[in-house]
Amino acid sequence: MDGLLVAHGLNISFEIVVLALVSLGLAITLGLLGVLNLAHGEFVMIGAFSAFFVQSQGWPYLAAFPVAILACGAIGWPVEKFLIRPLYARPFDAILATWGLSLLLREMVEFFFGRGFNSVAQPIKGTVNILGADYPAFQIVVMLAAIALIATIVFWFLRSVTGRRIQAMVDNPDLAKAVGIPVDALARNTFVAGLCLAGISGVLLAPIVAVHPSMGIDYVLKSFFVLVVGGLGHILGLVIGSGVIGGAEATVSAIIDRTSGYSFVLILSLLFLWRRPNGLVAR
Amino acid sequence: MNTQLKRREVLAGMAGGAALLSSPAVLRAAGNEAIKMGTFFSLTGPASLFGPTQTACTALAVDQINAMGGILGKQVEIVAGDGGLSPAEAAQAAIRMTLQDKVDFIVGSHNSAVRQSIIAAIKGRVPYVYTPLYEGGECAPNTYVTADTPQQQVKPALNALNEMYGTQKVYLIGNDYVWPQKLNERAKEYIAAFGGEIVGEEYAPLGPGNKFDDAVTRIRAAAPDLVFISLVGGDNVNFNRSFAGFGLDSSIRRLSVLLEELTLFGIGAENSDGLFSSMSYFTAVESPENDAFKSQYAAKFGADGPPLSMLGADAYSGTHCAAALLNAAGSNDASAVMSASNGLSYTTATGTAVMTNRHVNKDIYLAECNGVAFDIVKSFKGVAHGETCSV
Repeated sequence: MDGLLVAHGLNISFEIVVLALVSLGLAITLGLLGVLNLAHGEFVMIGAFSAFFVQSQGWPYLAAFPVAILACGAIGWPVEKFLIRPLYARPFDAILATWGLSLLLREMVEFFFGRGFNSVAQPIKGTVNILGADYPAFQIVVMLAAIALIATIVFWFLRSVTGRRIQAMVDNPDLAKAVGIPVDALARNTFVAGLCLAGISGVLLAPIVAVHPSMGIDYVLKSFFVLVVGGLGHILGLVIGSGVIGGAEATVSAIIDRTSGYSFVLILSLLFLWRRPNGLVAR
Repeated sequence: MNTQLKRREVLAGMAGGAALLSSPAVLRAAGNEAIKMGTFFSLTGPASLFGPTQTACTALAVDQINAMGGILGKQVEIVAGDGGLSPAEAAQAAIRMTLQDKVDFIVGSHNSAVRQSIIAAIKGRVPYVYTPLYEGGECAPNTYVTADTPQQQVKPALNALNEMYGTQKVYLIGNDYVWPQKLNERAKEYIAAFGGEIVGEEYAPLGPGNKFDDAVTRIRAAAPDLVFISLVGGDNVNFNRSFAGFGLDSSIRRLSVLLEELTLFGIGAENSDGLFSSMSYFTAVESPENDAFKSQYAAKFGADGPPLSMLGADAYSGTHCAAALLNAAGSNDASAVMSASNGLSYTTATGTAVMTNRHVNKDIYLAECNGVAFDIVKSFKGVAHGETCSV
């Protein structure tokens, strides 16, 4: 098989998988709780800075995962309690509140780590040859880890008791409360879990991209497009949305150039908002 | 009653006037307004990383200028604008700055799209000094460019790399706006002049960060000897990380034209093999003047000050240039400043520069990345700017 074709195929796959990974947390907070968390990208950033912090302390890369989960949890818990909970029924106010939160988090990280770019070394170096295409070994690992993570979450959500309770809460909070489901605690845990997933994706991406306080903006926008196209009704929406947005951008970029790829994504998202606001997989 | 009040006001006014007249020294100090310098540095947006060092270096220059008597005998006061705005917003800010704040001159370090809109907005009403490296060709009236031009920044570096490594086949990649596009037009001329060949050219949108896996894949297929990079900030970091991640750094050299200490730090030591940069300032430049500049900077801001880099050093030199221009012209009148500019010499971070055709001949350095530091591999003395603006 043609090495160039394989290489482009791998690039497109990587783009789709990374997009699904980054969107997973937003799919949970927006899809299940109805909170459009504009600070989502900042939690990806906090995850990336966890990896940078771990590296600067001389700890192994894997230590970044618990650090990121702790950091996102420690921030997410009070944020849910004091900022988000009063706004579950006021989605527009929640957008404004999380936008303010994103500014605050950016400034906080800037205060501790400075405004500049930071570099996280790749824990696995070198390339592997796949069907004639040299591809970075670490990006293969990221792809596999992301697929495993998404599959685990989906499986857990569909099969576990907690997953069922979340579905009950989403369908009818009052009824869920009446049958003894602790809705408040459940919503909090779901929200914090969404943030921690954003943090984990940040840890996985940190060795590949530029790590800096404003990096979050790169991720929240595309995640939002994914959910616009995919729809919020089902986890399938996340997968399909990532496939359409990531696939379209990577394919058009491969054939023409990046500017055309990005324009295509914008046009696609606009068309969906206009003609099909519930996305491909409606609730 | 009305007349009485009026008369009382007039009397009070006369008394006040007499009191002031009897103390002329006080009057002069109070009425002697500072000279206002408008600045457009990257306070927000993708280039905001460079803002703190631009602001700090300018503050150092203003301190020095004020200590030496100021500009036209007045102390300099800074009116800070944001060069990180969109071109349309920057134009509005520039109009406010000239009409409302009544600045006497402007110093700017921002992208070329913003420069064009500021020039259109102020219409040459006040002198405007533009300091960061750029694509060349800016001859708008009352506009003075202390920046590196392509003939200075790009031509010697491409020639030197071709002589050292035989980099005949070149791939061009940049962000999608005026600076990379016009710079690449010039670069193509220089490459053609030594018999080189362009094997690819592409642009990535300026804005949210891009991924470059597909670009790197195309570059591998095109098999160039050199990649000529005019990407900015985060995109420059992401591209170079992907480039090395795909293992191309061992076989293909890279020349980036907006690569200074801060960006290199983001690219990381393990991704900078075979990466070159060409500019008129690196902190690594060894000269008594640069040593003095660095120690003055350290004395003012201490160890925790914003890290020095080219865009800050350029803002420092540009501020000194503006002071020298107005002092030589004796006013900020456009025609007086224009004619004073030719042959004007002024202080820079690395010595003294001379302005001709509203551009500056200067020393240029080709540096190779060594981890996250620069090794100067070649110095080109007094490189001509090659611009032909009238004065």
